Amino acid sequence: MSRKPMVIVMATLIIGLTWMVYAPTSPPTRTKIDVSLLGPQVGERVPDFSLPDQNGQLHNLNSIMGPNGALLLFHRSASW
Amino acid sequence: MELQDRLEELESSGIGVAAISYDSQEVLAAFAERRGITFPLLSDDGSSVITEFGILNTVAMEGLGPNQDDPDVVADIHKYVAASVFDSQQLRRTIVGTPYPGTFMLDANARVTSRFFEEFYRERNTTSNVMLKLGIGLTPIAAVRGTTAQLKFTAYPSNSTVTAGTRFSLAVEVEPNPDMHVYAPGAETMGYRVIGLNMAPSEHVRFEPVSFPESEIYHFKPLDEYVPVYQKSFTLLQEAVVDASPEAEAALAELDALTLSGSLDYQACDDAICYPPASVPLSFTLDLERLDYQRAIPR
Repeated sequence: MSRKPMVIVMATLIIGLTWMVYAPTSPPTRTKIDVSLLGPQVGERVPDFSLPDQNGQLHNLNSIMGPNGALLLFHRSASW
Repeated sequence: MELQDRLEELESSGIGVAAISYDSQEVLAAFAERRGITFPLLSDDGSSVITEFGILNTVAMEGLGPNQDDPDVVADIHKYVAASVFDSQQLRRTIVGTPYPGTFMLDANARVTSRFFEEFYRERNTTSNVMLKLGIGLTPIAAVRGTTAQLKFTAYPSNSTVTAGTRFSLAVEVEPNPDMHVYAPGAETMGYRVIGLNMAPSEHVRFEPVSFPESEIYHFKPLDEYVPVYQKSFTLLQEAVVDASPEAEAALAELDALTLSGSLDYQACDDAICYPPASVPLSFTLDLERLDYQRAIPR
């Protein structure tokens, strides 16, 4: 039985690892942003939270929920 | 805030309302006071909930980081962060921590039933438009009513005031007279004229394809044809976006209102007679509002 294949595998690994360590710091490949894929999708449950409102009262999913559901708006800022 | 104006209708439809931003409680208190907002404005100071939801605007951070000159990053910044914001060092910092703005509609078990997120920074859906698309009871505003020999219609915009970037809809509710039907998409292959809301191109408004509700099949016995039609009251929705380019914003600043013209085109038939195709002119006038750059407490 030849040991050659194992040697090749090892060599490839070493070359690969060396490249990873010494490769110039090129920016990692970047996935283009697609907002339609971000966050909970249709059919998924949204994460619960506990946040104070403008009067300091705490709210979670349960407290904002109406009998038929809720509209949850995320906006940039109220200050600009 | 437009959402406040629609609060009563949402609540009477059994829908709870809340808004989340990274603002401090003080900023939100001042904003609520200034705008008369009564629903919860939730303070996610530190953006942990925005991050947990997975909708944190990460482009803003990339634009301040080592890859800020990467052409892909630059392209996304132009898409998701206004260039004017990015030109200002101060605004660059304030946008870090903001979400991609959008709306989730949840059922009573907190599952998403629909979601509305914008592809471009400057464009935004109005609450009324979201409600109209979801069929949530919306009181028609600035409605135009009309009657023809074969049908009645009510035409109204989702919003009577728009600004650069507003995504809104024009709605036309059509009620065919008893025993009358008009043709739905699919009927054109059988030689019938499908009802259409045909808006004339506008310099400042981009029109999306008209959305048609589900139709029913009508069996026309003399020809043994099965044709998609509308016999009961239905609504056509024409979604539209006001141009949000800086050039358009400058041009719109000179105007007080936008008038959008078009026509409701249809062919109506009953069991015996097919009436000639008809065209009813329609026009919608929307007030223009400047973008709100009013600030509360500086952060």
